Amino acid sequence: MTAIEMDGLRKSYKAGKAVDGVSLRVERGEIFGIAGPNGAGKTTIVECASGLRRRDGGTLRVLGLDPQSDRRELLQRIGVQLQEAALPDAIKVGEALRMYASFYDKPADWRELMDEWGLTDKRRAGFASLSGGWKQRLFIALALVGNPDVVFLDELTTGLDPSARRTTWGLIREMRERGVTVVLVTHFMDEAEALCDRIAIVDQGRVVAEGSPRELITKGRSDSLEGAYFALTGRDMA
Amino acid sequence: MKGITQVIAVELKLIMRDPMSAFFALAFPLIMLWVKLRSGKPLPGGLPAVDATVPMLSIFVIGLAALVILPATLAGYRERRVLKRLRATPASPTMLFGAQWVAHMSLAAIGTVLLIVIGLAVYGLTAPANVGGFLLAWILGALSLSSIGLLVGALVPSGRAATVIGLSLFFPMGFLSGAIIPRETMSGSMRAIGDLTPMAPAVQAVRDGWAGDAMSPVTLGVMVAISIVAGGVALRVFRW
Repeated sequence: MTAIEMDGLRKSYKAGKAVDGVSLRVERGEIFGIAGPNGAGKTTIVECASGLRRRDGGTLRVLGLDPQSDRRELLQRIGVQLQEAALPDAIKVGEALRMYASFYDKPADWRELMDEWGLTDKRRAGFASLSGGWKQRLFIALALVGNPDVVFLDELTTGLDPSARRTTWGLIREMRERGVTVVLVTHFMDEAEALCDRIAIVDQGRVVAEGSPRELITKGRSDSLEGAYFALTGRDMA
Repeated sequence: MKGITQVIAVELKLIMRDPMSAFFALAFPLIMLWVKLRSGKPLPGGLPAVDATVPMLSIFVIGLAALVILPATLAGYRERRVLKRLRATPASPTMLFGAQWVAHMSLAAIGTVLLIVIGLAVYGLTAPANVGGFLLAWILGALSLSSIGLLVGALVPSGRAATVIGLSLFFPMGFLSGAIIPRETMSGSMRAIGDLTPMAPAVQAVRDGWAGDAMSPVTLGVMVAISIVAGGVALRVFRW
């Protein structure tokens, strides 16, 4: 079954074309990576798919719904973690989960979720007092609190130390085991290689290559996804 | 309106956890009350000062919550992308704005109740002659000043800028409209300028309601008009 179907997606800002004809299919239950350099259009793709931005052209269905015309219905069924999004400094972990749960028709049990993601000891901690790793854990839990079928994670591990990144990878795999479709935006090739079932490499608003990490490595005649990425985007290491 | 009670409860807690908001909306008006009533002299015209000061300061509290704290909250949330994250949930914008309004006006209501309780207990405040009229005036004042605060919060990019703009609207309005200095002791020209500010009808109406004087339909209508116009523009130009 298909979770996301995108055909010829286009979006421009005043500064120019951000997404220039992107077509993608994301299957249910997979971790799908969108990788590429900064400014490639990755975030715009995710923002269009999650109903945060209106597309200029192309067709787009997420769980069979149009993110623009069926926005409300879609928002009940997806979870989102946004780049650099935040919560109020003084909100406590438990309060945030409980409040976000109240927005959904069929939310997860927020106390259970808090427990599962190891946040119970931190429930009375204010958002501002959390370290980067704990904040990301909370963002993942908030993305899951509505019991979503599809979760979008935008640069979840940027700014985390190596051990917190590894822990986060484990959490993302756990999501897939629960049957959630994960769309992961990243510019770390090791992360994409370790986690994703399939990856689209995006550059200058277009998909330059798509496939499993192994396929991409073969296509790029390299021994790692990072090497393949440089070969496929035509960018060198410098 | 799913989640509105949750959002109101959380927002009110967040406001109370901010020492600045709690001090300005709750403690500062009580200090003003004490300062204003030290002399104990009645106002020109013979009204005991406390009977004017408590209703006046209730608009002072609304003004702080509506013109200073509310826009700072909204603009700060935009700056920190709190609003953007909320937009990615099914929470309706109407519910979120409504909850913010109720939370901030609850702060003003707590401040007003404190003023009334201290006024009654310590300064021999006379009970309001027209309770319904006072409440109506208070609510319309809260709506009209909040819609201006919402407009500031909709347009200003950062929380810091919103605080500066909010304070520079609030203090001149407060002084000229009779929310800080009783209208009876102001010069005619000051009063004339003050009457042009959106805070003046609120001060006029709560004082009329408290004293049991006839409430002017024009005054109430002006507050309704400000609410509709400023609120409507704010919702139209609001950026997440």
